[in-house]
Amino acid sequence: MLAMAGAALAVAALPAVAGAHPMDERNAAFVQSIDGFAFWPFLYLGAKHMVTGYDHILFLVGVIFFLYRLRDVVLYVTLFTVGHSITLLLGVLAGLNVNAYVIDAIIGLSVAYKAFENMGGFERLVGYRPNTRWAVLVFGLFHGLGLATKLQEFTVSENGLVANILSFNAGVEVGQILALSAVLLAFLYWRTRPSFERHAFLTNSALMTGGFLLAGYQLIGYVLFS
Amino acid sequence: MAQAVEPASPRKVAIATLAALLVAALLLVTVVLPAEYGIDMLGAGAALGLLGLAQEQPVAPQDDEYRLDEALLRVGPGAWLEYTYRMEAGATMLFSWQATGPLDYNFHSAPDGAPPGYAESFDAQENDRAHGAYTAPFTGVHGWYWENDTASEVTISFWTAGFYSEAHEARDRADGYHPLTDLRGNEVRDR
Repeated sequence: MLAMAGAALAVAALPAVAGAHPMDERNAAFVQSIDGFAFWPFLYLGAKHMVTGYDHILFLVGVIFFLYRLRDVVLYVTLFTVGHSITLLLGVLAGLNVNAYVIDAIIGLSVAYKAFENMGGFERLVGYRPNTRWAVLVFGLFHGLGLATKLQEFTVSENGLVANILSFNAGVEVGQILALSAVLLAFLYWRTRPSFERHAFLTNSALMTGGFLLAGYQLIGYVLFS
Repeated sequence: MAQAVEPASPRKVAIATLAALLVAALLLVTVVLPAEYGIDMLGAGAALGLLGLAQEQPVAPQDDEYRLDEALLRVGPGAWLEYTYRMEAGATMLFSWQATGPLDYNFHSAPDGAPPGYAESFDAQENDRAHGAYTAPFTGVHGWYWENDTASEVTISFWTAGFYSEAHEARDRADGYHPLTDLRGNEVRDR
């Protein structure tokens, strides 16, 4: 996560590449928000998407619910970050146009999946629990496709595209750190209370409800508009 | 690693999963679908007054005087021309222009109170025409910058209709030097 942010910051330090088109140079001040490298706007968009994106936050809540050691939190969040960074970069570079409703429905289902896993559903009901690390990585890949779809709504220019994706990705990590810190603080407090153990199952049921609700909302959107 | 604190019975997990599906479906049908898509299967959306959230308002009343303009603008070889309007936030203008040759153009706007040299660009490309509708996102000056990179004069047939005031035309200086300016004539320094 820090390495990603560091790489993006290193890219940010490079001077913006001047456009070949005369208009690009002359009107750089006018069009910098859409044409060419714009670190802060894209960083902001990435961070905003993460902080206001309740689907990503719900998933992270599910992921860290039963992670008591900081080492595990870092491991799982890194797996998630690696996953979504890969598909975010490749998705935008390849111009992958995945249907936003479908991908958001899968993200909703990832929340329900994680809650089901937390409830012990795989051991108790299915008899087999898929590897939790692989699951987080794979869902990270799907979340990244969602981010790529969102970013492509903003990106209009090939000029400075890679640097802008990296800025957006760095913003996603900044937003993730902000959101995660708030969630972790709440959990640190909640775990000291007896109500944590008492309501852990119910809370994961609520999380699962939220995941199903998001998935249903997106699937119906897909049926209506795609 | 990730385990439930209290091992729940298979029955409990199954019930909780079914309950999660049911509650999600119920919320979807009674609240989310009416508010987001205007689909109200049970009438709950109307009862809760949520249906209005899904409706876009098709009519937007405007305060300014309605104007209709037509112009024939000439841009010499290597010259530029800027044509801007004052518009209030939310005011709409329909536009259509067609040129006799390709032009570099930039539709941009400068909000009132913005620092000198600041403008936002909404459409910048090379083309010989553009048609559409523009709704001002903020109060300020809004308009086109055209640049003729060809060796011959280009004529623009230009029509606008809508709610704006104070059309303003700026042209290349006689010596051919033209610093980039914002829409109030302040030179753009941040280059």
